[in-house]
Amino acid sequence: MTHGIVPPYLLARIAELDDARFAVAAEAARRALRYDEPFRAARLSFSLDESDNLVVEVGDGPNRTIADAGHRETLPGTVVRSEGDEPTGDVAVDEAYDGLGATFALFSEVYQRNSIDDAGFPLDATVHYGAQYDNAFWNGSRMVFGDGDGEIFGRFTASLSVIGHEIAHGVTQFTAGLEYRGQSGALNESISDVFGALVEQYSLEQSVDQASWLIGEGLFTDEVEGTALRSLKAPGTAYDDDVLGKDPQPDNFADYVETPDDNGGVHINSGIPNRAFYLVAEALGGNAWEHAGQVWYDTLSLPLDPRATFVEFAAATLTAAGTRYGETSAEAAAVRAGWIGVGVEMSSDDGRAA
Amino acid sequence: MTDARPDPWTILVVRSGGFAGLTREWRVSSTDHPEIDWVRLVEACPWDAVSPPDQTRDQFVWRIEAQARVTRWRATLPDSRVRGAWRTLVDEVKAVSTRPTTDR
Repeated sequence: MTHGIVPPYLLARIAELDDARFAVAAEAARRALRYDEPFRAARLSFSLDESDNLVVEVGDGPNRTIADAGHRETLPGTVVRSEGDEPTGDVAVDEAYDGLGATFALFSEVYQRNSIDDAGFPLDATVHYGAQYDNAFWNGSRMVFGDGDGEIFGRFTASLSVIGHEIAHGVTQFTAGLEYRGQSGALNESISDVFGALVEQYSLEQSVDQASWLIGEGLFTDEVEGTALRSLKAPGTAYDDDVLGKDPQPDNFADYVETPDDNGGVHINSGIPNRAFYLVAEALGGNAWEHAGQVWYDTLSLPLDPRATFVEFAAATLTAAGTRYGETSAEAAAVRAGWIGVGVEMSSDDGRAA
Repeated sequence: MTDARPDPWTILVVRSGGFAGLTREWRVSSTDHPEIDWVRLVEACPWDAVSPPDQTRDQFVWRIEAQARVTRWRATLPDSRVRGAWRTLVDEVKAVSTRPTTDR
């Protein structure tokens, strides 16, 4: 089966086709236009059935809008590309547009989630935010990307994992709602890193063994001794630089960092659940977005305390694995081993943490 | 006899968080830069104002501390709240700090 995002103008043209050879596609396009909001794209999947008939399936499509802040710290900025528009030639604009599409594709095609809120939430982004702005963030309704200072950081749209990370913050906001402080904040961060990595892997069709497991690869300039900002496979090894210091992420709960800064070290301690996810994916092999990613995605929809600890979240992932694949499944065993591998205790009987 | 010298201030600005999770610090002593009216800059800031939690993720977090002989102020702010008097204070501290440092 092939599938792709069809922009609204093309949907309209397909819907108007008066040619028997394309009757199926035209009807699918007309359905998409009826079901969707005005000017929203749709995802059409084409395949042949056993009688060589063309089968067209209509799926959800993204609704992307990219704005340009013009190097000011004012949102949203001027809209420069909307859904279905041709590339602008501005690298940051087009990277943001494509990255939002790739992230939408993972959640839609793999987890059957229609955007951030599972109800077609618009994917709005602002690029060229601030002057030499060394950051990207999610403000509760849109993604915002700076261009970097040019000395340490380049533009933040350069890494697909960063774009996926920011959208995943929105998904967590509409599901588990994990508080952004301490352990629950580190879990919030880790979930964004996990799905940021999975967006990249799904887009590049990389298996567990082929993937870099890096977050923010390519963001540093050549002046920095480092490959990325974080590594899920080996937390604490992403960079080691004279100016920036060494990647401070721990890879075991025993080394959890207590700090008053960064909302209690949410970007530091996320290394622990990041590594747990990697261990689960490594144990299961194949494509990480399939079983390992499905377990993490399912966990977001479980009744989880917004202030969940690592132990509580680990227990929830085990519940999710048991529910979908069975309590004695390889997935459940991998989840249990993954958390134990990073020093998070699991009970031996009912999936509830000790 | 009372000490008529102005109270010396030490001001610390720590920026943490952000997507990268890097921490940077800037520190200044008022005695090193007496040409700047640090008392006015510090007292202009709304130190007691509370920042309600919001849904912003990956934004910078600023810890700002100002300490004199008997007075100590401390505030933690999301990047979106570093505006007005806060921005003026932070920009002055960053400007006169000889060298930003990255630690941890």
